[in-house]
Amino acid sequence: MPVRLVEASSPSQVSGTTHGNTLPQPCSLLSVGQAFSGTQNVSSLQKDEAWRVNVRIQGCDLDHGYLCGTMEALNVPMADTPVVTFWEGEIVDTKNYTFFTGKWGATVTGLGIMSRVEDDIKHWTKFPSFPPLLSQVEADGGKSLDLSNYPYVFMRWKEQYFVNVGTDCGLTIAGFYYVCFSCSDGSINGFYYDPNSSPFQKLELKSTNDGRSGFSFSTYELQ
Amino acid sequence: MPTSANSNHPSRPEDLIGRLNSAHTPYEAKLKALRDLKNQIIGNRTKKLVFLKLGAVPSVVSILSSAAAPQDGGGGNREFHESVLIQSAAAIGSFACGLDEGVKAVLDAGAFPLLMSLISHLNEKVVDAGARSLKLIYQSKLAPKYDFLQVKNMEFLLSLLNSKNEKVTSLGASIITHSCQTAAEQQALSGAGVIKRLVCLLGGSINQKDASLESLAAMVKGNPEVASKFMGPENGRALGVVIELMKDKYPRTRLLASMCLISIRNTSTSYLQDLGIKSALVLVLLELLDDPGQVGDEAPFVLSGLVTEKEDMQKIAFDANVINKFCEHLTAGSFQTKRLQGIFLALSDLCSKLECCRDRLLDLQVLNIVTEALAHDSAEVRAAACIFFKNVSRSVKNLSAGQFMNEAIAVPLVQLLCDSRTSVQYLSSLFWIFRYGYAIEHYNAVTIYLAVGISRLMKNEVAALGAISNVVVNFMARKSVFMECGGVKQLVQLTKSMESAIRVNAVWALKNLVFHLSNRCKEEILLELTSTTLVSLINDPEASVQEQALGLIRNLVDGTLNSIDCVFGEDGELLHAIGRKMRRSTSKVEVQIQGMYALSNVASGNELHKEAVMNQLLPQAVDDKETLLVKFLQSSDSRLRTATLWAIINLTYPSSPNTCHRVNKLWNAGIVSQLKNMVNDPCLDVKLRAWTAVGQLMMYGDAST
Repeated sequence: MPVRLVEASSPSQVSGTTHGNTLPQPCSLLSVGQAFSGTQNVSSLQKDEAWRVNVRIQGCDLDHGYLCGTMEALNVPMADTPVVTFWEGEIVDTKNYTFFTGKWGATVTGLGIMSRVEDDIKHWTKFPSFPPLLSQVEADGGKSLDLSNYPYVFMRWKEQYFVNVGTDCGLTIAGFYYVCFSCSDGSINGFYYDPNSSPFQKLELKSTNDGRSGFSFSTYELQ
Repeated sequence: MPTSANSNHPSRPEDLIGRLNSAHTPYEAKLKALRDLKNQIIGNRTKKLVFLKLGAVPSVVSILSSAAAPQDGGGGNREFHESVLIQSAAAIGSFACGLDEGVKAVLDAGAFPLLMSLISHLNEKVVDAGARSLKLIYQSKLAPKYDFLQVKNMEFLLSLLNSKNEKVTSLGASIITHSCQTAAEQQALSGAGVIKRLVCLLGGSINQKDASLESLAAMVKGNPEVASKFMGPENGRALGVVIELMKDKYPRTRLLASMCLISIRNTSTSYLQDLGIKSALVLVLLELLDDPGQVGDEAPFVLSGLVTEKEDMQKIAFDANVINKFCEHLTAGSFQTKRLQGIFLALSDLCSKLECCRDRLLDLQVLNIVTEALAHDSAEVRAAACIFFKNVSRSVKNLSAGQFMNEAIAVPLVQLLCDSRTSVQYLSSLFWIFRYGYAIEHYNAVTIYLAVGISRLMKNEVAALGAISNVVVNFMARKSVFMECGGVKQLVQLTKSMESAIRVNAVWALKNLVFHLSNRCKEEILLELTSTTLVSLINDPEASVQEQALGLIRNLVDGTLNSIDCVFGEDGELLHAIGRKMRRSTSKVEVQIQGMYALSNVASGNELHKEAVMNQLLPQAVDDKETLLVKFLQSSDSRLRTATLWAIINLTYPSSPNTCHRVNKLWNAGIVSQLKNMVNDPCLDVKLRAWTAVGQLMMYGDAST
């Protein structure tokens, strides 16, 4: 039977000024070309509903805490075809982005909407891998955390535009996702946040491999 | 009926030269002919070329030579000879002004030493004429290199800089600007006290200021020691003076002051780093863009020098609305070539690193102007447009939106490849013909011109390939647009170029094109490329080409399962080639990483694929105790350790029928103990994969005896 992975100890606090590398390290499963599939639960009080979702990573710039890709939602009732959106992600690396979404000297982030610190904490806490970090995050947004050996990557994903349908398709991309990615198996969990939608719509994805018996990795390099 | 020549009409060139050459022409008439010639050619490039062709320069130089020789008699005779010296020197200077053919003719005719001898003449006007003409020659790259390291030469230079004659001091500074290139030369000049003298000239006439600014920039460039000497106390407020000159009333002085400061800034991060000066530089250059003349043409190039590779400067320029200003200029109307090239290059530098700059550029809708420029008459403008596309298409967001993959852009880019490939081939053939078919005295000049031509074309080709490499990453399904324009055929041809820079960029472009490409398109590409070419690319003499070729294969075998068979066919020649490359101890780590990912991707296929990869990584007859796998797992490069682990994970993937057999082989090869050493690897990715691999291997139990 597979050996249980020994959980890494909680990320240490970086004492004094930051020294060395405390940013999340690159992870093969969160790299360009990687694909994930699963569901997004869009249940409301009226009914239970889930859409099948495929996600693919298209860009990754760890120096700037940036990620982007596409999200494809299948079996969407209002749409004739799968709906594809382009999203951009902020990686919580304590350098470019912290766990606090809107708290940047009271400026609005590129995500376009403000969320309060309470909303942030409420959402991050729903991820089982978050509690060890909670106290530090409450203190300073997690700025002094060393995430370099933590086997989870926290992100916010914001859909920016519809790729294959018009904005009048009856769907909204006004909110954003709080996302937790597991470096060990490439699974992704997320919660959609939009004050005007049902709360805590859950996104659950697993790393897919196009019908292969194993993992395949493609590459591109921009000049 | 023919009329007699009217002295008010300019003489025909042939007549003029006839008079200059003829021994029978009285001296006064020769002087008049010289004046006439000088007046005709001043500011008139066409006339200069006509006279050059007729051999005017040797005639004038011969007259200068006679007049410069020791003369008999005095008084009026001397005055007359001095007039001849002045006019002939002026004519020579005019031929050299802004015209390389003129400079070459003047140097070939032996004018240089004659002009130099005029510097020490007693008559100031003669000195002026000589100095002015020499300065014009020194503005050209063709001017002879001045050897500062010879003591006599340094002394002469210092005498020029210390002269009371304004034109002579400017000449001294121009010589420095032209010839000071190496650190040793910069040190020698600095050691001889030149900086102090140049700093004094900053307070002189316009010409002295300008000449001094240029030469200070040349002395400081890339030399922190000389830069600190300039900034040192012995030069007083030198820096302050230069900063003040950024507000001088003459545009050229403002431009040169900016260039000087940028030269200092780029040389040492200790200086000129405060926001105030950085913003001031941007604003001065922005304002100079409005100058309709040469200064406005050069301003974008200087701005490039300020922002290139510097994200902070690019942000400052962005905040100062530089991009908007440049785009306003672009949309305002057509430009002379140099300015257009400069604007494209400056915009390219501005959007090289920052997404906000690329967004702003795309919002301002100038893409169509740059797209048109891909077919511009000037090769420099075409190359600059390619570099623009390469940098602006670094925007993954816009690549995702399919912004750059349409026929309007793809067609001219492919055409550029086609054109320059033909031209490079043509020039290359000429090169070899001249080398073997001509006498040695022709060889040097002709082959230098051809080599320069080929090198320029290659730079343009590389620029086009750079742009193509990025735009083909386009994530939408419309990658086939590029293929439909005939792009693949061109790229494949270029993978066979004799120049490694071309080969590596062509393969790079193919690799990016194949990223997430449909199987149908992949098959088309393979048909054009062929396995044989792929094998030879894997074995290319250049490691960078090998690396890109293996990356290309990695992408070809990614995707759906049947993409693997498309690539490897029946004989497995390609797989063998990869295996051999991996086994070579001289392979570079980047090559090994791509090769392992290619093999790993194949190993994520079916049983046959896994067995084939296994045979490459753990061949049957293993004499070498240390297998390839163990060697790679012990690499100091975490990326190689990771790639190798993925290969092992795929080979031992639980759901496969014959996994057990492969697991046994791996146990026997000592892989498990190696893996167990890696479960606390400092690299998280490696650690996690090692755990997974160990887990999979342990699942089948310890099969070793």
